[in-house]
Amino acid sequence: MSVPGLTIVKGKTSGAARILQFLNHGLVNLVLAIVAIFWLVPTIGLFIASLRSSTDNSQSGWWDALTKPAQLTLDNYANLLSNSQFMGSFWNTIMITVPATVLVVVIGSLAGYAFSWLKFPGRDWLLLAVIVMLAVPVQLALIPIASLYGKIGLFGSIIGVILFHVAFGLPFAIFLLRNFFTQVPGELMEAARLDGASEWRIFSGVILPLGMPAIASLGIFQFLWVWNDMLVALIFTNATSQPVTVAIQSQLRQFGANIDVLSSGAFLSMIIPLIVFFAFQRYFVTALLAGSQR
Amino acid sequence: MATDIVLPVEPGTEAGEKRPPRRRSGLWIAAGFLAPALVLLGVLVAYPVIYSIWRSLYDASGQNFLGLGNYVTMFTDPGTFTAIKNNVIWVVVAPITCTILGLIFAVLMDKVKWAIAFKLIIFMPMAISMVAAGVIFRTTFQENPNLGAVNAGLVSISKAFSHQSAYPGARPRTQEGITQTGGDIATDSTVSPGAVQNFPLIAIKPADVPGSAKDAVVAKNPASDAIAGTVWLDFVRGGGGTNGEPGDGKKGLPGVKVEAVDSSGKVVGTATTADDGTYAISGLAKGSYTVTLPASNFAPPFNGVSWLGPQLVTAVIILSYVWIWAGFAMVMIASGLSAMDRSLQEAARMDGASEWKVFTRITAPLLSPVLIVVFVTLIINVLKIFDLVYVIPPPSSLPDATVIAVQMWTVSFGGGNNQGLGSALAVLLLILVLPSMIINVRRFREDRDR
Amino acid sequence: MALTQHRRLLASLAVIGSAALVLTGCSSGGGGGGGTSPSASSDTGSGAGSGTDLKGVTLNVASDWSGAEQKNFEAVLKKFSDDTGATVNYTSYGSDVATALNTKIQGGDPPDVAVIPQPGLLYSLAKAGSLIPLDSETLDAVKANYAKDWVDLGSYQGKTYGVWFKGANKSTVWYNTDVYDAAGATVPKTWDDFMKQLQTIADSGTYGISIGADAGWPLTDWFENVYLRTAGPEKYDKLSNHEIPWTDPSVAEALKVLAQLWGNKQVVQPGTAQRTFGDSVTAVFGDKPAAGTVYEGDFVAGNIASDTKSVVGKNALFYPFPSINGSGPAVVGGGNAAVQLKDNKGAAALMKYLASPEAATIWVKLGGFTSPNKKVNTADYPDEVSKQIAEDVVNAQTFRFDMSDLAPSAFGGTKGTGEWQILIDFFKNPSAVTGTQQKLEAAAAAAWGK
Repeated sequence: MSVPGLTIVKGKTSGAARILQFLNHGLVNLVLAIVAIFWLVPTIGLFIASLRSSTDNSQSGWWDALTKPAQLTLDNYANLLSNSQFMGSFWNTIMITVPATVLVVVIGSLAGYAFSWLKFPGRDWLLLAVIVMLAVPVQLALIPIASLYGKIGLFGSIIGVILFHVAFGLPFAIFLLRNFFTQVPGELMEAARLDGASEWRIFSGVILPLGMPAIASLGIFQFLWVWNDMLVALIFTNATSQPVTVAIQSQLRQFGANIDVLSSGAFLSMIIPLIVFFAFQRYFVTALLAGSQR
Repeated sequence: MATDIVLPVEPGTEAGEKRPPRRRSGLWIAAGFLAPALVLLGVLVAYPVIYSIWRSLYDASGQNFLGLGNYVTMFTDPGTFTAIKNNVIWVVVAPITCTILGLIFAVLMDKVKWAIAFKLIIFMPMAISMVAAGVIFRTTFQENPNLGAVNAGLVSISKAFSHQSAYPGARPRTQEGITQTGGDIATDSTVSPGAVQNFPLIAIKPADVPGSAKDAVVAKNPASDAIAGTVWLDFVRGGGGTNGEPGDGKKGLPGVKVEAVDSSGKVVGTATTADDGTYAISGLAKGSYTVTLPASNFAPPFNGVSWLGPQLVTAVIILSYVWIWAGFAMVMIASGLSAMDRSLQEAARMDGASEWKVFTRITAPLLSPVLIVVFVTLIINVLKIFDLVYVIPPPSSLPDATVIAVQMWTVSFGGGNNQGLGSALAVLLLILVLPSMIINVRRFREDRDR
Repeated sequence: MALTQHRRLLASLAVIGSAALVLTGCSSGGGGGGGTSPSASSDTGSGAGSGTDLKGVTLNVASDWSGAEQKNFEAVLKKFSDDTGATVNYTSYGSDVATALNTKIQGGDPPDVAVIPQPGLLYSLAKAGSLIPLDSETLDAVKANYAKDWVDLGSYQGKTYGVWFKGANKSTVWYNTDVYDAAGATVPKTWDDFMKQLQTIADSGTYGISIGADAGWPLTDWFENVYLRTAGPEKYDKLSNHEIPWTDPSVAEALKVLAQLWGNKQVVQPGTAQRTFGDSVTAVFGDKPAAGTVYEGDFVAGNIASDTKSVVGKNALFYPFPSINGSGPAVVGGGNAAVQLKDNKGAAALMKYLASPEAATIWVKLGGFTSPNKKVNTADYPDEVSKQIAEDVVNAQTFRFDMSDLAPSAFGGTKGTGEWQILIDFFKNPSAVTGTQQKLEAAAAAAWGK
């Protein structure tokens, strides 16, 4: 991978240069550390709020608990975890999110490849149309699709929600993957075609491996957006098919403060997406090593 | 360059043997790749768009044809213009901030050992639902310093560094001969030396009266060149006592600054009340003076900034957006960085190029496709922003923070039930997006044809 | 080889994808179909209330109750399912009942019974033909158990659709006895005395009253109580139906009375426009009271119980909204009405059950609930305070429903627009009476005009 002989050539760094290097290194660490702390504070605040009762949360801010640890309680989490409707909704969320993510990745990759390396009439106009669909807000489709689903019997079903999410995730998927796929060097593609490989072989053997970082990113984002969606689920699911976000929404009191429910619900809901992110982001590294083998 | 990848070879063909061009089946193949996407997009996205355009030509009930009536209503409503103005602010500020931050984070992250932890921290807000994020920011920036973290911090800093007034909010009763104007409490008529001037005050929290305060007493008769008197809290717990008279356990107010102001407005003598509330300003020449308790005694303490008020609320919402989406930009750019061939940069570094040169001449241009994807996605995302703008502002600030998607929701669903007008707003949104899309697709075509 | 690794990943992705599709296909069949109540319900008995055998029938009920209220309502539903054998599923729509319900109706999958908080919504649903009128038995029960005002509220164009299961008393002024005692303030009966007492409390160092108007709806309740007392019930009805305009002098009179209070900066705790209703309750009943009084409906008791350590009945009491210019006792109230959306025996039986005093008594005993049902024994209320609240509602000489809930929700029920927003603006600027009237009239004309 590395050019032979280059690694030997390394000049002696002077003391001053070394100090500069260290400062540079230390400075970067310091800057990033400060940024990280600022980034974390709001989330930590919410977490501590989830460990306080509704009464305490109404009287004082979450930092109060830092000096009065007696305020901390697991009641909010206990309430949610013992609520069978809430726990059931977790399974629904998985049933909705996983297929929605997989389908977007698969269908998006196919279409992305078509838009990047296949020639057909009207390709650029069609691409423009797809990209314009990025701008369509979800609210716009609620009423027409609700009545459409009602007519074909999909209203209230999990498949209906999945298809809705896939459709609204496709414009971004196609946009992203098409851009990534066009990065593949043209010579590679020509050589593959000249060798007589079919489009499918090229797609699966060349494009997909090289596009893995983008596909992994897409997968993560789609997973998160579907997992955290509340609006679509509120309209298109019923009591048996509702996901976690709707279940939390239904726990909110009309007139009271709801921080205790929202915060604990948010954290319980956040665990799985974070695990997914953590698992997938390691895959980036593998992709890096694989994709750079040229 | 391409030597390490074994290319798949069609069985039954020898490498190098050309096959006849497959033009007609090329179309079918393209169709095969595109079909699932196009079907889903057509039914679930394109159809609602067309439905909306059609629907925007009708009134709320959907029965009466209005032509462009809804569009006229839309453009004559000041709310629409506020929404458009806010969307413009969003588009100008938010995507560029997110992209730049994401770029900086992604590049710097490479250089530290704890990159994965950093990535997780910056990315975590994306894992929290928009609603929860909105709630976080709403409570953090709340006006009440007891509940809102930012104001709590500001108030503590202000308490530490500035002098707090002794009796905030205090005022006199009416018709006692003293009046509060602009914070100062002054006598209505002038006083000559040798006279007694009292200041019975109310609206003081019992907690603000210091422990050292003693019961209020009538001031001793002043000398002929002095003005004396008592300042006390003219309120008995549970009501009772005589207004304007000390006694019944009423406490004097120590530490109040008293000034004697002559007819030209100059302060000629000052005093500070003792523990029993008495004061005496001596050394006064003959004449008429206004005795004043300056406003600094009673100034209300700094109580934080109104972050969620009409002026600042959009800034707070944009901040919350950046908090969430900078992570998106960072992850995307990081994956672009990871797919980049590093040898070019290594070579440049060996040649002695500085980090900045390496970044601007090599890294950034190679990253530009990713940067463009991120930037365009953010712009479109920001144009249709809804959740944060709906959740964070208190409803009293909502008209100042509104954006087009929120207007659309309020009009269509939030009680308005005027889907005709709502659809018109949706069409407006789509029209606003088109310019940025066309510019970028053209760039791609140029890139590709190179 | 890297490639085969990727091939394997692709293969596994494909397997997961198709497996997921298959699985959802299996489950959605159950999930999608199980929601609707089958038309072939096996009822062997006649439609005689709870004696009907509804074994095997599944009913869906929806409302905006969640948390503790949901638990209590489910207890009510449980008795019904125990008696009849039906399975009753409850869903909460959160606070967006109108939107959720409308879209579900559009989608062809509404609940069997919904309990809705606004008569305005009831009328629009009835007009659209989405509601089933009460059957003769239930209608008789309703006429026997409820005052005529309530029956009329649930009727549209001669047919009755609603059973008012829950009532609310919105003429209760809650006060912290500790603060009142310390200030020597007493319970006022008239508006002038009310202002005087609030001033006394303010003089003692605590604000007289806290108002939480960030959303605006508490201000509409203020207006309705004042208007009912200054203009009388006949004019109240006319204004509710927009038969007299908001520019009428009676409206000006009510607004001027409100301005007396709202413009008094000494008496009203600052920060109203951004304070939530819940925070205004905490401001009065929390650990360090910042004000002595808060006005809103009987649901304040619920806030006190869950958000503060004050105890209703001990230091948290209420007095009826004061009379103005000698007006008689009057109550502005609210409520939730059960309506039937699907035509089947199970839903009809549930409606009949909800109209009975037995159903109401279950929740009455659990607390936090007022029933407008005349046949409920008020001795069943768990404490004196709730009993008093309920008696005020049932026995009110003049009872009127919350005007903003009677209006189209674009005017009276939406945050950021209509009456809610205009009154917030008036609160910030209480001298602009005429201007406010004009804005109200314009918004009302737009909302009713459709």
